[in-house]
Amino acid sequence: MVKPSLRHGYMLLLFIICSIVLNEIIIIGNDFIANATDSMLSGQQVFLPEFFTPLIWMILLGTVISYFKGIFGKHYSSMVQNDVRLSLGQHLLKLPFSYFDTKGTGSILTTLISDMEEMERFFSEILPGLFVNFIIVLTSTIYLIQMDVMLIIVLFASYPIMLIVADKLSKKLANIIKKLRTHMDERTEQAYDAIQGIIVGRSYNLYELHKQKIDTIINNMVTQACKSTRISSLGWVLKNIITTVPVIICYLFALYETKQGRISVGDMLAFTVILNRILYPIGDIVFCANDIREIGVSLKRIQEIYNQKEERTDGTIYKIPNINQAAPMIEWKDIDFYYNNNCDRYVLNKINFSINAGEQTAFVGGSGEGKSTIFKLLCGFYEKKNGEYTLLGHPFKDWNLKAARDCFSEVSQNIFLFPETIRQNIACGKENATEEEIIEACKNANIHDFIVSLPKGYDTFVGERGICLSGGQRQRISIARAFLKNAPILLLDEPTASVDMEAEQKIQEAIEKISAGKTVITIAHRLSTIKNAKKIYVISGGKIVEIGNHKELMKKQGIYAEMYAKG
Amino acid sequence: MLKTFFRYMKLMGNRLPIYLCAILLSTIGDAGRKIANSYLIKNIVTAAQTNNTTHLFQLVLGNFIVFVLGLLLWRFGIIHYNIEGRTAAGKVEKLVFSKAMRLPMSYYEKNHSSDFISKLIFDVQKASDIYTSRLRRILSAIISSIIYLIPMFYFSWELTLCLTAVSLLSFFINSLFANPMKTAGKHLSDKNSKMLEKLTNILSGIELIKIFPVGPRLLQEYETTNKEYLHIKKNTNRLSAGLESFNCMFDLIGALAFLGLGIWFVSLGRINLGELTALYTLYGVFRNVFLDIGQYLPQMMNCIANAEKIFEFLDMEEEPEQWEFETCKEKDNAICYPADNPILSVQNISFGYNEGKKILENFSIKIEKGSFVAITGESGCGKSTLAKLLLGFYPLEKGTIIINGKTYSDLTLKEIREQISYVPQEPYLYKTTIAENISYGKYGATRNDIIEAAKAANAHNFIMKLPNGYDTLLGERGNTLSGGEKQRIAIARAIIRNSSIILLDEATSALDNESESLIQETIKSLKGGRTILMIAHRPSTIAAADTVIKYIT
Repeated sequence: MVKPSLRHGYMLLLFIICSIVLNEIIIIGNDFIANATDSMLSGQQVFLPEFFTPLIWMILLGTVISYFKGIFGKHYSSMVQNDVRLSLGQHLLKLPFSYFDTKGTGSILTTLISDMEEMERFFSEILPGLFVNFIIVLTSTIYLIQMDVMLIIVLFASYPIMLIVADKLSKKLANIIKKLRTHMDERTEQAYDAIQGIIVGRSYNLYELHKQKIDTIINNMVTQACKSTRISSLGWVLKNIITTVPVIICYLFALYETKQGRISVGDMLAFTVILNRILYPIGDIVFCANDIREIGVSLKRIQEIYNQKEERTDGTIYKIPNINQAAPMIEWKDIDFYYNNNCDRYVLNKINFSINAGEQTAFVGGSGEGKSTIFKLLCGFYEKKNGEYTLLGHPFKDWNLKAARDCFSEVSQNIFLFPETIRQNIACGKENATEEEIIEACKNANIHDFIVSLPKGYDTFVGERGICLSGGQRQRISIARAFLKNAPILLLDEPTASVDMEAEQKIQEAIEKISAGKTVITIAHRLSTIKNAKKIYVISGGKIVEIGNHKELMKKQGIYAEMYAKG
Repeated sequence: MLKTFFRYMKLMGNRLPIYLCAILLSTIGDAGRKIANSYLIKNIVTAAQTNNTTHLFQLVLGNFIVFVLGLLLWRFGIIHYNIEGRTAAGKVEKLVFSKAMRLPMSYYEKNHSSDFISKLIFDVQKASDIYTSRLRRILSAIISSIIYLIPMFYFSWELTLCLTAVSLLSFFINSLFANPMKTAGKHLSDKNSKMLEKLTNILSGIELIKIFPVGPRLLQEYETTNKEYLHIKKNTNRLSAGLESFNCMFDLIGALAFLGLGIWFVSLGRINLGELTALYTLYGVFRNVFLDIGQYLPQMMNCIANAEKIFEFLDMEEEPEQWEFETCKEKDNAICYPADNPILSVQNISFGYNEGKKILENFSIKIEKGSFVAITGESGCGKSTLAKLLLGFYPLEKGTIIINGKTYSDLTLKEIREQISYVPQEPYLYKTTIAENISYGKYGATRNDIIEAAKAANAHNFIMKLPNGYDTLLGERGNTLSGGEKQRIAIARAIIRNSSIILLDEATSALDNESESLIQETIKSLKGGRTILMIAHRPSTIAAADTVIKYIT
């Protein structure tokens, strides 16, 4: 964030210069009037046209300068934000998968959006406002010093008191606002919770209970909000009194000086006008602390994202050799894994297996037993804690991550399609895919006919009104995507889990086609889909408990056989 | 528009007059403070000019007291304004959320929950801005403009007239900018949401991006929209800088030319120097609030548009207390009220979500008290629909259901649901403690009740192994439970409820062996005491049932 704000610093500088010039114009104009007043009061005739010409020039010049001031200031903020957004996007892409997995993309997104809004406020309002106020105070002060030094001393005597008050109040306020925010989050969470669980809520008649819960939270929100007005309004009252009292003293002092004949009545007039002008900027600069404190939270959070370590980009880019039957593709030796530092809860414990090219392997087990974690480790989304992982004969840690991931295609039960056209979604599989390649992939995935039957064909927008793709259709699109990628290893994560019977058959066909000549690794708890696998690993509690093909495992009469019997 | 606005204000009920009074008081206080300030300057400058300082101290002190009183009045008003405004905003939120929980079941199935909640929260916040800022800004700008004009006219009506003319002119120019600014703003927000969409693509598709070579394209698209956004933003900047420079011009005219003109007036003896200075200070504040009116009106319009959406939502039909459908009226009808008096009797019911396509047709079952009945059939044949109908989520099209001797048409939905404990395939556990989740089954359940139920559901042991036991907060990371563990808590919730029927809808189909056998054990132990109705397709699941009903379409 710091870099872009410096890179465009010249804009800010120009903005500051314009502000200074603009302020000078006003001060000179004031001086001009002060002189006119003096000459008038001393009995001279005021000649209007002579008086107006310079003023008109000043107004014109001021208008032009003000335009440029606006342009520089606004462009500065726009450009800085643009740079921040861009670098943030680039950075996010390079972060490790675990970051998104632990934080949840939804929550990253919501905080990011609101934080970027706050950042916009900082660069477009707070920062320029701070500069403008500062310049007004500074230039006006210089002008006043030339008139009378004592005035300035009196004026700024109140400053320390103001600083203390502002600091105390803003801390208190920040506390309340933090509480308010927490209540707001609670409310959102409670509302989501009640609606997501509506089936349970309805059948257990929990309406009154949930309503009460939400109502209590909302009442708390109201209380905190009212508390915050009490404090902020008190701050406003104090700020006004603290700034006004010295100003009144200044006025009286200036009056005294006039009576003593040290300053003229015209100067006195100019003085009051200028003093009035800086009265609010002075207070604003101090009380700006509130805003900055609030925005600081958001800026910090954005900075936190920047501080996240990017995924490693080192490692060798090994070439993917022509698939040589029987060559080992993947070997795992004593692999251990647990999330974060939670070493009490092993997700995978001493997992050993070896998969040769062209083989079909399956991992089975109940949900939450660590099957999906195997895929995450294979693709390098997470790093194993102990053990050795060899991919295509090279230790995984030597691989360049991108090159390693080029070895894998995935078809998952969590089908994700971008809200873009069908063509774009399929083209994801390969850089610069041609039209023919896309169509061929779709034909192979049994989806071409369907796509062509849509009014807009391949240019149909996924998620467009009226055209709602079924789970099966979406899955076949994702298979076409995997076809296009044509990676040597295919990961299948329960691809037919959430589709109906008819769709399942079509998907099964497509999967058989795509599996030809590939090393296929499947995870499943529906066992009918993996009967043909060469080797089946049964996983339970993070460990491999049974190994063998379907026949062998059935003979064993162990867990697998029991699972199978249940269908 | 106006109608929506009045309806929205009416939601305040009898607090509305207090609310409006508070706005009025705070405005008067603020205006009074500024007028006192200008009088103070007038007194001092007049004293300087006339060299007469008698009574000056009293005058200045008086001004200062009025100034402080104005501030205090403002604070008093603003605090009460905020209490009323925030309370009303809270009231709207309560209305909206309780509405959100009372919609017909079909609404939740059609709308993605997170979608409509986040839209709702956004709309409520925007609409509540009417209470907590927008209305006051407009009202107070109008009121205080009028208040300022009074002393201004008193000081010099000629100059004030000129100043008002200039203000009107600048108001007019500002409103000329309003339309292009609005269009630009719309462009900007369109592009902004495009940009956010691209960013969302990157974030939510991150798993794909890591595997498929799509990252560079998405990034490039994001960069392009960013560039476009910057381009539009720069155009908007030019426009608003233009507006600002116009305003600055009027500001300068006010500041310089009018002081010049004023001096001329002074030399003519029509106004004195002190009054001129005071007039000028007042003009400054007048001009600010006056121009604000033009700025606040469109913002207010936007908020009212949000309020309209809220009302649309609030006006939606709710799930009724009770479904109305045709049923046997005569109490002694033998078909409707069979002599053997089963606990649940489903008679010839028909139902379809869409016109014409029936999911259930002339379906009947009879379940004796204390029995364990399993219903099986191919997936998608309407088994789960039966559960929804039993729970009264949808009205029956034909036929009737009798539970404990009463027909559904004689029972409120609440009464119906009190008699059935439902355990769906995907159990939902609320983001609160395990104990509370279980206690949801029974109002006022004690810790003992909860533990009993958990034991009966084979959940006690694993719960005790968790670091915080029954007080473990669910939903946080690290406290994730496996599917089987969740399901056992859901079953404990059903057990504690002590209702006549327990309805299990594919409750074990997604679980691993161990969990399934634990749950089977639980169900077996419940047999006899409770009536159990189970919907399932796995043969192992239904092995223990007394009766198996195979349902074929």
